[in-house]
Amino acid sequence: MAERQFFKATDPQEACDLLAQYGGKARLLAGGTDLMVAVNQRQLSPEVLVYLGDSGLNYINSESDNLVIGAATPFTDIMGSNLVREEAPLLAEVISHIASPAIRNVGTIGGNLANGSPAADSATALLALGASLKLVSKAGDRVVAVEEFFTGPGETTLEPTELIQEVIIPKKAGEAKWAYRKLGKRKAQTLSIVSVAICCPLDGGQCQGTRIALGAVAPTPILASEASALLEGKILSEGLIDESAKAAADASNPIDDVRGSAWYRRRAIEALVRQLLAQISA
Amino acid sequence: MYSLEFTVNGQLCQVAVDLKTTLLEVLRDKLFITSPKVGCNTGDCGTCSVLMNGKLVRSCITNALSAQGKEVTTIEGLAEAGELHPLQEAFHDNYGAQCGFCTPGMILASKALLDENPKPTREEAKEALSGNLCRCTGYGKIIDSVMAAAEQMAQAKS
Repeated sequence: MAERQFFKATDPQEACDLLAQYGGKARLLAGGTDLMVAVNQRQLSPEVLVYLGDSGLNYINSESDNLVIGAATPFTDIMGSNLVREEAPLLAEVISHIASPAIRNVGTIGGNLANGSPAADSATALLALGASLKLVSKAGDRVVAVEEFFTGPGETTLEPTELIQEVIIPKKAGEAKWAYRKLGKRKAQTLSIVSVAICCPLDGGQCQGTRIALGAVAPTPILASEASALLEGKILSEGLIDESAKAAADASNPIDDVRGSAWYRRRAIEALVRQLLAQISA
Repeated sequence: MYSLEFTVNGQLCQVAVDLKTTLLEVLRDKLFITSPKVGCNTGDCGTCSVLMNGKLVRSCITNALSAQGKEVTTIEGLAEAGELHPLQEAFHDNYGAQCGFCTPGMILASKALLDENPKPTREEAKEALSGNLCRCTGYGKIIDSVMAAAEQMAQAKS
């Protein structure tokens, strides 16, 4: 058996070099809240681990029009950041519903995304905020919109030699009206059965570029584009909200699983979108 | 195998670990510190909770090598010179423990809370302990214990 190897990357460049060297054999380790569960359950036996905890990817910066968050920033730091609370309060709110304090202390935003879960709560927030991700490899970097990042359950557009360097959130999203709700089996330490995040910039009461994001109701976190488009340039009314809520339910493609049935999820999406849009219009 | 060097309850330790070893395995199987329990082993139940550099973490899903050079505190490290920590006293006095399986994790989660927020509301205490499951008590007495400890510690300070 080849010797297992553990590396502590001191910067993203070193992590990229290691990924280039070991290709698909290497796994990135940040908080380990997903990876070590898979190891404990014997679903994963990594040959090479590249630890990102000291790789300089823990930061929250304001850069001209964007809020930029390093991929290895733990949720607790993001949730507690005044910058995030000002520029992207929706993200702080969503994170407060993720798992529990101990998990948020080490679990990172990049790890949550790279894990590719259809129920990844941070993804729902980032979709609604119109965020994008900077991916880097030894070959260079690229920026992808969050809606193009997820390709299936547990699958993303990340190449085996690539890592997420940072999350880029447009600051103007901070001025928009927003609302969020997650339904789980219990209040804390729970995976979403359904989650909805809505970001709704209002111009003189008219919706301009609303983004309605749905979690845990399709193979990936998704944007309900039609449900959003229906609202464009209009003032939220009861009839319009109803129409949008139905379109959101139509955009979903849920499954039956241990947490809830497809039937329930479709109905819950409609109810949540209706409730959240009403909250925004109030 | 790799050499892990870290501090546990103030004592420098060195153990050999592999890529897949968890901090919980190091504590229980190599150092024989058995207060962190093996509950779910998936990070859900909280009974393996310890403090790492003062922050509450799940030792069962903490890769041992990520503890390199860090300071870990378990419940064994709370009492000082034979005196129980006020949280331990409060859990005792307020019947905050029944079977005891979740208690080390509960007390460490409470310590993490009080270190950051010495005067929490009941709601804040519930939120801080939301990732720690108890199957005996119904949580009421546990929250009572945290609130009592906070009060006692505030009085001791003034």
